[in-house]
Amino acid sequence: MLLHINPSSGVPIYLQIENQVKHYIASGALRPGEALPSVRQVAADLRINPNTVARAYQNLERDGVLQTVPGGRTYVAENPTGLLKSEKIRRLRPHARQMAVEGTQLRLDPQEIIDLVRQELNALEEAHERHSDLDRKAR
Amino acid sequence: MNDIAIWTEKLVKVYSQVKAVDELSLHVPRGSVYGFLGRNGAGKTSTIKILLGLARPTAGQATVLGFRVGHDQVAILERTAYVSENKALYGNLTAKELVRFTRGFYPNWSDDAAARYARSFEIPMDRPFNKLSQGNRTKVFLLLALAQGADLLVLDEPATGLDPLAVDEFLRVLAQDVVGDGRTVLISSHQLSDVEQVADHIGLIDQGRLLLEAPLDDIKSQFRLVTAGNALPQTRSADVASVTSNGSFCKYLVKQNAEAFAAELRRQGATVTDISPLGLREIFLELVRKEEPCTSGNAGGIAASVSSSF
Repeated sequence: MLLHINPSSGVPIYLQIENQVKHYIASGALRPGEALPSVRQVAADLRINPNTVARAYQNLERDGVLQTVPGGRTYVAENPTGLLKSEKIRRLRPHARQMAVEGTQLRLDPQEIIDLVRQELNALEEAHERHSDLDRKAR
Repeated sequence: MNDIAIWTEKLVKVYSQVKAVDELSLHVPRGSVYGFLGRNGAGKTSTIKILLGLARPTAGQATVLGFRVGHDQVAILERTAYVSENKALYGNLTAKELVRFTRGFYPNWSDDAAARYARSFEIPMDRPFNKLSQGNRTKVFLLLALAQGADLLVLDEPATGLDPLAVDEFLRVLAQDVVGDGRTVLISSHQLSDVEQVADHIGLIDQGRLLLEAPLDDIKSQFRLVTAGNALPQTRSADVASVTSNGSFCKYLVKQNAEAFAAELRRQGATVTDISPLGLREIFLELVRKEEPCTSGNAGGIAASVSSSF
């Protein structure tokens, strides 16, 4: 797993890590059951505070994205979507609202905004298939 | 108090007529990397000198690692590594001799660590200190501080003269060897991008007073720069830290609840054109700069409201 952070952006570093891990999982670059590097390793690689990495891992664990075995390593959760549908929608709604507001402000019409989301979904799906192909070839 | 590494209450230091430190109350959590920020002459080094017993406070009190400043100074110095601002040492000694000289003072000194840092910082250990470049002098200081096995590292401008590669190595060592074992680091630096990378708490002082003290993540999630047209600089709320105006456009630095403040601006007929997050550098500039005509004079209220939310 290769993370990249931008410390001087206004986005807290722990959020940057969370978003990248989620993206790696959604695109299939990280698989359920796969181990993540330790907090200390990530902190040393990125030259950032281990407390910041620990916070990102804890949040991802709380969201059911990662699992930590007691006293040991952190893995991508096998079943990362144990949440109720209503809860998933509740969490996604702010992002949808943001899309709607920003898109409207930029004077895109509704269809263009929806198409944009669809394109991103397709890109994730393609990435996922690429990773599956690579896995098959590796076997 | 056990989870606080450095605590000061209404610390004051007056040099002749000048108040270098003005009722400063700091809270540095144990295990944190605390970025101690401010302009030249803001009072950072004066504060550090008081904490280490190198200067006597005019008023106020402080503890370091639970020991009272001015009473338990030996206990504090045994557990604290200090890289001073002016990086002066016995000039005719080589780095190797300085290591031999220093190790005896510290019960937790590690020869392994000293050898490791000599290699990773690429320090010429056999050359006299006063023949070294500024950057290499800094590296010798860092080696001596890091190898002490101290519970608290006080680093006053630790990156002076270091090239980018050396800074990177220093940040790696901090992340890998120092933080996470409950050790605390206080970094006073103008290199805001380095601080931003490794610090988790920020204390910003100006003219000896605390302007802001909070977890860095909270600052980044809550501070916003709100830009509005057709707006009045007088529009304020308790959350506005500073205002700059240019014609009918105003920029408000809002320390929290930016959306609510933007709604208030809109109610007053202003057009909110942007609400954007800020990096540490921008926050520093917005809070400390003086030349703008309508900069708020009372940014001092920020500390309490932000630091409670973590």
